Amino acid sequence: MKTPYEILEVAELATDNEIKQAYLQKVKLNPPDRDNEKFQQIHSAYEAIKNVTSREKYALFNYPEADFDALLDQAFSAVQPSIISADYFDKLLLASIDDKTLLTGNHEKTTA
Amino acid sequence: MNEIIIGIDLGTTNSEVAIIENGQVLVIADNNRKILPSFVGIDDQGDILVGESARNQYLVYPERTVKSIKRLMGQDTQVNLAGHAYAPQEISAIILKRLKAIAEQYLDQPVAKAVITVPAYFSDAQRQATREAGEIAGLEVVRMINEPTAAALAYGGNQVEQKRMLVYDLGGGTFDVSVVNIEAGVVEVLSSHGDNQLGGDDFDQQIIEHILDHLQETQGIDLRQHSKALARITRAAENAKFVLSDEPYARIEEEYLLEHEGAAIHLSLELSRSDYEEMIEDYINATIDAVHIAMKGAKLTPADIDEILLVGGSTRTPCIRERLYNEFGFEPHSEVDPDLCVAMGAAIQAAMIGGQEVNAVLVDVTPYTYGTSAIGFLNDDYYPFTFVPIIHKNTALPNRKTEAFVTNHDGQEVVNVTVYQGEDPDALNNIKIGEFLVEGLQDVEAGNVITLTLALDLNGMLHVSAQEKATGLEKSITIKNALSRFEQGALDTARGRINKLFGQVEEVSAVDIIDAPEIVEARKLIAKAEALFDKTSNEDKEDMIDLIEDINSCIEGGLDDKLQEYVAKLADIVYYLES
Repeated sequence: MKTPYEILEVAELATDNEIKQAYLQKVKLNPPDRDNEKFQQIHSAYEAIKNVTSREKYALFNYPEADFDALLDQAFSAVQPSIISADYFDKLLLASIDDKTLLTGNHEKTTA
Repeated sequence: MNEIIIGIDLGTTNSEVAIIENGQVLVIADNNRKILPSFVGIDDQGDILVGESARNQYLVYPERTVKSIKRLMGQDTQVNLAGHAYAPQEISAIILKRLKAIAEQYLDQPVAKAVITVPAYFSDAQRQATREAGEIAGLEVVRMINEPTAAALAYGGNQVEQKRMLVYDLGGGTFDVSVVNIEAGVVEVLSSHGDNQLGGDDFDQQIIEHILDHLQETQGIDLRQHSKALARITRAAENAKFVLSDEPYARIEEEYLLEHEGAAIHLSLELSRSDYEEMIEDYINATIDAVHIAMKGAKLTPADIDEILLVGGSTRTPCIRERLYNEFGFEPHSEVDPDLCVAMGAAIQAAMIGGQEVNAVLVDVTPYTYGTSAIGFLNDDYYPFTFVPIIHKNTALPNRKTEAFVTNHDGQEVVNVTVYQGEDPDALNNIKIGEFLVEGLQDVEAGNVITLTLALDLNGMLHVSAQEKATGLEKSITIKNALSRFEQGALDTARGRINKLFGQVEEVSAVDIIDAPEIVEARKLIAKAEALFDKTSNEDKEDMIDLIEDINSCIEGGLDDKLQEYVAKLADIVYYLES
């Protein structure tokens, strides 16, 4: 499974506008008329990471092995919770996952 | 050579057909008219009439003429046309067949495929009926696109800068509003809302009621049962509406409406714009409410909107511009022809499907939420028909979503799947659009997993399938309104019936009518003038359009003296512009 970042070919720290432009480019090359599946993949990838809220949500709910309670505690105790980046979340997640073997597998996949 | 796919705007009041020729969008004119009134009639010879001639016949033989058939599409009903009953699909097919013939005549080759536009707020059943109308007319409907989206595509396809647009589309019978983002060659609909039974016809009806009440009061006569008088009142009301787009007052005059107890009944009445606007205020309010819903759906505020695009003849009503100005703080865009832009967008999409390079790619959404019902809780109470939304409104098309459900009791062998369209948490308050059973499930404990998949295609049509997860037992349907569905056999019969109607006409028109030389010259001049439209000021263009209309009516009416006068005037303008 490719991550939304991989599908749109953007960096995990890309800005909203960078992500949007990448999405529009991909749509232009893969109009819904030509390839339904491909378009849906691109569109859902964009929906998943189009703004900070959706990126946080994606980061939270796409690491099924994470300890969410611990993660949320840490997130809310952070000084400026509103500017948590996907990258920062990633770090928090690494810290909160107990099973080291699972962690390695997951981490490699998502950042490849 | 690529196979040609034509773009068709099948409207409540008017229809048009367009193509892309040498990279340019062209709305094809028939007898110099780009607009075909959506009227169908049968004359006293038994010949079929479509367009202007049927519209004219409506005044004399309303019982032999059908108007605004689009309002009945998707309903299980029939209309009477000269003593025969026809389904709405068949009447629409007659209009489509005429448009197809107009395109074939222009292109000098057969046409078999079309992109047809439908209101964004058209339901599944209405879309299905539109596709069937195409099939009856001998057209494969390769795609149905939403009218406001088509307009945005026609207008915005070449835009370089990013723009957020509100498309306000008020036609003869339907209203749509869409919020559209145009950026980097992608025309993306962010949200849509509307009403598939609200349009200019309703405005006419208000004026008609006003006139009927007036006649009742002043003459003590109820004309509701007099179809001929009613047809004339309808036309008079429509004309008054047009006048009120530009003038503060309209006079409504119809002499000799009928004879009543030996005396002739005349109609003479003045209607002010403010009275008219009061009559239609509720309708306008409803459209503005829909604008708010669409804005909310797109998560935008008026300040985020760069432009307003008006589509549909009914947007000429001045108070609509005023209301939109009050909402957004700027005037709607008026460069686009509200009558033609939908057909133009259809042609662009048709060219794209046909494999031509076009500047813009379209991403549209569904204006409806689709889901099913399940046992759950409603207002904290146990309730067996809780609505479970699966595809939410304003989701991009195409879309496919799967939800898992579990059986409720041990040994349950059958699941009844009902699909609804709507927003209400109580499924029974939504519109039920289809239902089927998945039978022969395994004899296991409660909790047997059934997955339900809803897929919306690019035409906005829904396909549903359910599967027992453990065994792969599957049941699938394409939602069609069971009531209005035409089986394949019925479609073939309808096609035969409609072809026969046209066959009679073809015999008559097989005799070539040779135009007089002055008429040939006049037509050449009109073509020259139309070619200059893009380069001229609006004022000159309007003058030319008026003259062209005058010339056309002279040609039709055989008024040779007047014809020469108008031709000379038009020639002067053309000469002046060309030099």
